[in-house]
Amino acid sequence: MSDLPRHDEGELVERAKQDPRQFGALYDLHFQQIYRFVYSRVREQTAAEDVTSEIFMKALKAMPRYQDTGRPFAAWLYQIAVNAIADRYRTMRPSYPLEDFHDLSIAGPPLEEQAAHRDEIRRIWALVEALPPQQKTALVLKFQEDMKIEDIAVAMGKTPGAVKLLIHRGVSRLRDEAGTLRPAE
Amino acid sequence: MSMRHDPELDDVLQDQDLMRVAELLHEGRMTDPPLDDAFRSALRRQLMNRAWGMGGTGVPWWSKLLGPTGLAWAGAAVGVVLIATVVVLMATGNSSTGTLDQVYVTSPMSDQSAVRLEQPILVKFNQPMDHPSTEAAVQITPATTVAFSWQSNTLSVLPTSGNLAPNTQYQVTIGPGAKTATGKPLTEPKTITFVTSPPPSPSPSPSPSPTPTPRGVLTDQHQLPLPAGISNIRWSADSSTVYVITSKGALESVPAAGGEVTVVVPDGVSSFALSTEGDRLAYIRGGKVEILTLSPTSTTEIVPVLAPTLVGWTKSGVEWTAADGVYTQGADGQVKVAPLPTSGTVTAVSFSPDGTHLTYTQDQSLQLLDLATGKSITLGNAGAQFLGWSPDSTGLMYSGAQAIVLSDVGGKTSSSVPAGEPSWSSRDEILLGSDTDLYEVNPDGSGLTRLAEGTFHLPTWAPNGTAFTYFRGGALFTASAPAPPPRPPALDSATSVVNGFMQARKAGLQDKATAYLDDNGRKAYSGSNAGLNLLVTGDPGFSRYYLLTQEIIASEPDTAQFVVRIVLSHDKLDVSTYEETLTLVRTQGSQQFFVDGAAAGPLLPLGKGAEVVSVDVSLGSVKITFDSDLMPASVPAGVIILDGKGKQVGGTPAYANRTVTIGDLDLKPGENYKLVVLPTVQDVGGNNMAAEYDLTFLGPADAHGGKHKDEIPSPSPS
Repeated sequence: MSDLPRHDEGELVERAKQDPRQFGALYDLHFQQIYRFVYSRVREQTAAEDVTSEIFMKALKAMPRYQDTGRPFAAWLYQIAVNAIADRYRTMRPSYPLEDFHDLSIAGPPLEEQAAHRDEIRRIWALVEALPPQQKTALVLKFQEDMKIEDIAVAMGKTPGAVKLLIHRGVSRLRDEAGTLRPAE
Repeated sequence: MSMRHDPELDDVLQDQDLMRVAELLHEGRMTDPPLDDAFRSALRRQLMNRAWGMGGTGVPWWSKLLGPTGLAWAGAAVGVVLIATVVVLMATGNSSTGTLDQVYVTSPMSDQSAVRLEQPILVKFNQPMDHPSTEAAVQITPATTVAFSWQSNTLSVLPTSGNLAPNTQYQVTIGPGAKTATGKPLTEPKTITFVTSPPPSPSPSPSPSPTPTPRGVLTDQHQLPLPAGISNIRWSADSSTVYVITSKGALESVPAAGGEVTVVVPDGVSSFALSTEGDRLAYIRGGKVEILTLSPTSTTEIVPVLAPTLVGWTKSGVEWTAADGVYTQGADGQVKVAPLPTSGTVTAVSFSPDGTHLTYTQDQSLQLLDLATGKSITLGNAGAQFLGWSPDSTGLMYSGAQAIVLSDVGGKTSSSVPAGEPSWSSRDEILLGSDTDLYEVNPDGSGLTRLAEGTFHLPTWAPNGTAFTYFRGGALFTASAPAPPPRPPALDSATSVVNGFMQARKAGLQDKATAYLDDNGRKAYSGSNAGLNLLVTGDPGFSRYYLLTQEIIASEPDTAQFVVRIVLSHDKLDVSTYEETLTLVRTQGSQQFFVDGAAAGPLLPLGKGAEVVSVDVSLGSVKITFDSDLMPASVPAGVIILDGKGKQVGGTPAYANRTVTIGDLDLKPGENYKLVVLPTVQDVGGNNMAAEYDLTFLGPADAHGGKHKDEIPSPSPS
């Protein structure tokens, strides 16, 4: 989600609703996160560009009808993104290069331990790919995009309770399929 | 390992295993995907074209009259403004009526906060107006001499100086004296309010930095013909040769480009160091410190009283540690520079490259000894390991609980970077080696970039900041890393910090604002200084800020000084202002700027005479821009510069287009000067300045210290 204070973003949204020519500011604010989310799902640059274009074109067109529900504007963009990606999924299966994940903040010598930990992370994200689409989307929005459950609910067109259930089921399935994980230190 | 707690998941994932999976998911966030900036720009253009085609949905009919076609005469500049314009209906909220019974006054600038300076003020009427009476009814604050022109029902108000004043809130009022073409007067005055942008800047000078090589490509990778078990990797000063100690205690060298190994000392070497100039090599062998001059070859030796354990170099010569302290060779023999503790197990670890500091361990504690003062400070927690120096000896790295901690040689933590095996380069990049990857990161923790996959243990930069060695499979390799991306100039970096700080304050984000302060900065905003508050609350409220002056005033460490003007508003109208003088210091080590000092000036009312809105300081002249047109005769005696002794300096002020220029100056870098604008200065309306205006500034640093405001792009307003 963007760092812009809600009231500032609200002002941008109101302007864009009144005059679509103001939409550029919202595009600038949210392009990066939406593109990153799309890329994480389609895993191919050209496809990510196509889907991202589609998302922002749809958003621009629908802007006058946008209703502020008290949630961040990005949640609405994610909603369009989730639907656009779902459409895309019907015709293509994304691949998931594992090397795109890394996290050096896991820190702390010895290095062998870091490597093992990194492998665990790669393995768990690889398993996310095999989850049912709804669970997968909920987990990506929660853990990759750092969204709040209520915002995920907006993005997925579900209730917060349903999102919690999807997350619980998804994580439980990952636990079962990952087997024994090393205990946290 | 780093564990992250997400309270939202507490009632979703109540099982410990599930939480563990969630933590792994949180940790494995994706890196930024490949992105074509051309695509991003093209999509934006496509969206904007589409938006123009859609027009102002929900916007009144008169908004469309202000589209690009209708205002073609005003040129592209106005078109750009229109893209970002919300048209405000000034006379009534009922915009749907097309009746001519009422006069509507609108402007594309109304309520805008960053109006460009190079354009007229456009005032649009919904019906033909009587030109003379309307022009006579125009009032502008601040006092501005203007010319009028008409295009259909649009009145163009152009300052005769050519441009609008920067950083200024304008109020343009059409008084009730204005009449329509049919003779109907306005029922009430209509006021348009807007704020202008900062002054324009000339193009920045070309960056002296080299064109960066594409990241992520290592070149010249090859193995060096050295036996297994080597240690103590050192590069020659010219980065051509690598020196090592073998497992048998031999000191050997090998050309980095490849070639024959040279045995420098056959055995018994336990520690060695190259002099800063690279012409001498000191090593410990057989309880002695031997000094080898490389060309022509000669050897001298020192026989310490106590057995030496570690050797290094200062500017004046060789130094070494023994059980009880640090020694050097003086004119009259060996001199104890500083003692080491006598309690616990003390082990010397590393001399700084300039020989002014030493790290050592005392039992489990990592210590940093300042050889000039003899005082030691503790680094990190028990068990912290020393990981390396910055090449300029101003910073060092040691292991923290979760990451590598960077601190200056005062022990003050400046940043942290991800864990790994680090080496700090002369180009201020840190390599992070590991079993699986090689990363590069800036000392402030930004710009983490994976350079290569594979095993890169114990990387060691060469002095040129390009080549480095690393271990793989027990063998020593060398490679060259691509040049880091060019760094922004010091003043740009400091300006970015000031803008972040001020925007956080304006948004009321105390924690975020506090993050821009160092210890001194926090003390300054702790409440003890009158008029200095981190968060500005109440009515009138903090509506905007702008940077009045910005200078680099010192180097080593880089120090910048900014005068920031904070504008307070009530009901969208600027009513008062005060200035804060911020001093920013770049921390040694991470190279980040922090606010180190602050002082607030008095609260001044606005709208009562001319105001200074921009000051550009250079060594030879000072330019003072006002928001109002001035009475030229009031300028020479009213705008003066005093040096630190109160003596007036500079030539006679020259006045043109709201700007007073005082030339013939020879400002001394770092010395105090004061700009004084006396109340005798009058605007063209005959109003005197509300009060004397004083601005204390320092003579700007020379070319080595940074750039001045008029050489860099101006920051965006809040």
